[in-house]
Amino acid sequence: MLSVKNIIDTENLTVADVNLIMENTATFSEVLSRDFKKVPALRGKTVLNMFFESSTRTKNSFEIAAKRLGADTVNFSASGSSLNKGESIIDTVKTLQSMIVDLAIIRHSDSGAINYISSKINIPVINAGDGKHQHPTQALLDLFTIGESFAEFKNLKVAIVGDILNSRVARSNICLFKKMGMDVTLVSAPMLMPVNMDCFNVKIASCIDDVIEETDVLYMLRMQFERQEKKYYPSIREYNSFFSLDKKRFMKMKEKSIIMHPGPVNRGIEISEEVMENEDEFIERIKINRQVTNGLAVRMALIYLLLASDQLEKEYVH
Amino acid sequence: MFTEIINKKFPAKDIKAPESLIIKNIFIPGKTPNEDLAADILIEKGIIRSAEGIVDTCGIEFDYPLYPGINSEKKHVLGISSNGKAAILNAGGLTCSASFTDMHVHLREPGDEEEECINSGINAALKGGITAMCCMPNTKPVIDNDCLVSFIKMKAAKSDFNIYPAAAITKGLNGLEITDFGVLKNAGAAAFSDDGKCVQDSKLMYEIMRYAKYHEALLILHEEDYSFSAEGAMHEGYYSTKLGIGGISPLSEEIIIARDIMLAEKTGAKVHITHISSKKSVEMIKSAREAGINITCDVTPHHIFFNDSALKNYNTNLKVNPPVRGPEDQEALIAGLKSGVIDAIASDHAPHLDSEKNTTFIKAANGSTGLETLFKASYTKLCIEENLNFLHFLKLISTNPSRIIGHKAGQISSGSNADIAILDTKKQEIFDVRNTYSKSSNSAFDGIKLYGKIICTIKNGKIVFLDF
Ligand SMILES: [Zn+2]
Ligand SMILES: [Zn+2]
Repeated sequence: MLSVKNIIDTENLTVADVNLIMENTATFSEVLSRDFKKVPALRGKTVLNMFFESSTRTKNSFEIAAKRLGADTVNFSASGSSLNKGESIIDTVKTLQSMIVDLAIIRHSDSGAINYISSKINIPVINAGDGKHQHPTQALLDLFTIGESFAEFKNLKVAIVGDILNSRVARSNICLFKKMGMDVTLVSAPMLMPVNMDCFNVKIASCIDDVIEETDVLYMLRMQFERQEKKYYPSIREYNSFFSLDKKRFMKMKEKSIIMHPGPVNRGIEISEEVMENEDEFIERIKINRQVTNGLAVRMALIYLLLASDQLEKEYVH
Repeated sequence: MFTEIINKKFPAKDIKAPESLIIKNIFIPGKTPNEDLAADILIEKGIIRSAEGIVDTCGIEFDYPLYPGINSEKKHVLGISSNGKAAILNAGGLTCSASFTDMHVHLREPGDEEEECINSGINAALKGGITAMCCMPNTKPVIDNDCLVSFIKMKAAKSDFNIYPAAAITKGLNGLEITDFGVLKNAGAAAFSDDGKCVQDSKLMYEIMRYAKYHEALLILHEEDYSFSAEGAMHEGYYSTKLGIGGISPLSEEIIIARDIMLAEKTGAKVHITHISSKKSVEMIKSAREAGINITCDVTPHHIFFNDSALKNYNTNLKVNPPVRGPEDQEALIAGLKSGVIDAIASDHAPHLDSEKNTTFIKAANGSTGLETLFKASYTKLCIEENLNFLHFLKLISTNPSRIIGHKAGQISSGSNADIAILDTKKQEIFDVRNTYSKSSNSAFDGIKLYGKIICTIKNGKIVFLDF
């Protein structure tokens, strides 16, 4: 059983929790490779998908995961601003909770929103991404993907490249990767890097070339030039020369190294067109599609574990 | 009448107390050697007549207890002399001080009376031992004209309370046009402030300071460079990184303080910097003063009580502007109070509706209520935890802020105004915001155990708050 009732961040997961999640993910991953991809373990349960921030990929992934487990799903979407005037987030969540759901999956554009909501409701919650804070299911699916390629996590060299400042993926991954004993280097520029990263026990590099030859896992973050509130980073051209993965850099990498990205890739920014085109050729190395598939398995595992333990607890009480 | 105050625990404004009040058995810090050799205070017509030795009540004290249900064995008894002329309060060795002055308060009237009004603010102040305060002009409408200044003065006078309104520096706090300093000052504006906002235009600030100098007006400055603070909601540091909340660098405050020190030096204006938050700010103000520049400053209880680690669970009641900073800044602020670089402690009492705080951290409003905890919180931090001399501490919440805003502070000596706070300095209680007199309950100190209880507040010789 998990030591936590909610999946809000990667920090509060114990190593035993992570191992349990990985084991269950492996099981569901095997299920997904069958012809009949359903395990009706959670028939009769209802999972609420609440997305206060638009997302198709993650939302679909959660919804399919719940359905493959036999649960019913209720969907709710609203961007923060389109909530009815005067209606608070909590009113909205409580209204939906009162429709007797068993688990809520929530994404919100404000950091800390899931901590806040989960403290006000009494069903398990999975954080599907909150602001710049955490995206724990992404971190867990990334970990599982790494685990498929390497025998053990300890001392694996991981480089996380790009906009650390605005990335919840970076925050949850750094924490989880460190927890599992990996050697993490952040590759970024000052205006894309939060302060006090030294406290997180990571190494810092200023150019992808500094790490490219020794890295086992090259993790490219999404660089959203159009969504920067203020444009401090000069240009895509500048970005390409310091942080992008092109063919030349790709060829310098270790033979068994892998490339990851939370998706969707901005072709020509994080990863060059040329490398992306060879995705099929290097399928063993470029894990971007595998990450998506594993996302489904990880989410099935999490929903299953939270609801199963919830169930066990209830049975114990009665 | 007194029963009412005690049972309802409500400050009665209409007590018809006898003309004289005798406080027996009270410890006067700096005067009486210790609590066992306490003195008496005799107050007549709002003035302290005697604050040394023992007042002879001819053995007629408590002839007529003012409220039943309290037996005479209880230490602190309020009674009345048999001739009916004097109320007698047996303080049983409690400590007294001149009542406190809070030079940074948001009363929200006019405009946001559901959050606070002048009367509820006064009640909360009296509960906190405060009898004078300076209120900020960011009301709706903004206090940028003489009518509003008069309105506030009038309301305060009705309650027999000293309110010193700060008028806006710029019209509607727009940061563009200077208000009528002369007219506002004549109407009773004690200071000028754009608190909550900060004039970004340096040339305009230069003209403001020249004009303030010309009118001999005090400027109370909230220092913030918007280009540093716009995308942030908490101190930029380990916790902002971890929580994924935009950080506000201390540079936001420091750059403007550096600018305003230079402008104050050039113009000679009387400048008070409010709620300073960082180590560098303390250092800059220290060297400015050493260079003879006319500059004072204050700090809030929350900036010395907390650091950014207290936000690790996204506590919205501690979302304040400027943000509570790192442990090093917190230490430097405490050291600044001890060394005298920081002149005063002011609450920045900022009431907000529950709906503005009961939301995500990013959406929550800035500010904490603070009138009721001004004394308790700073006393706990400075005197209990940091061993600051109690007399020095009292200067920080009474003498110094009074001097800066031009209020004649009380003193416990013959001939002074009888504005007194009676304190139980040993009492430790959990501060429970459900008992607040403020209309709002967004206190950063809710649920925290604090030393020091205000037992009684006396204004002009009248008991205006009593909580035995
Ligand atoms: Zn302010
Ligand atoms: Zn203020």
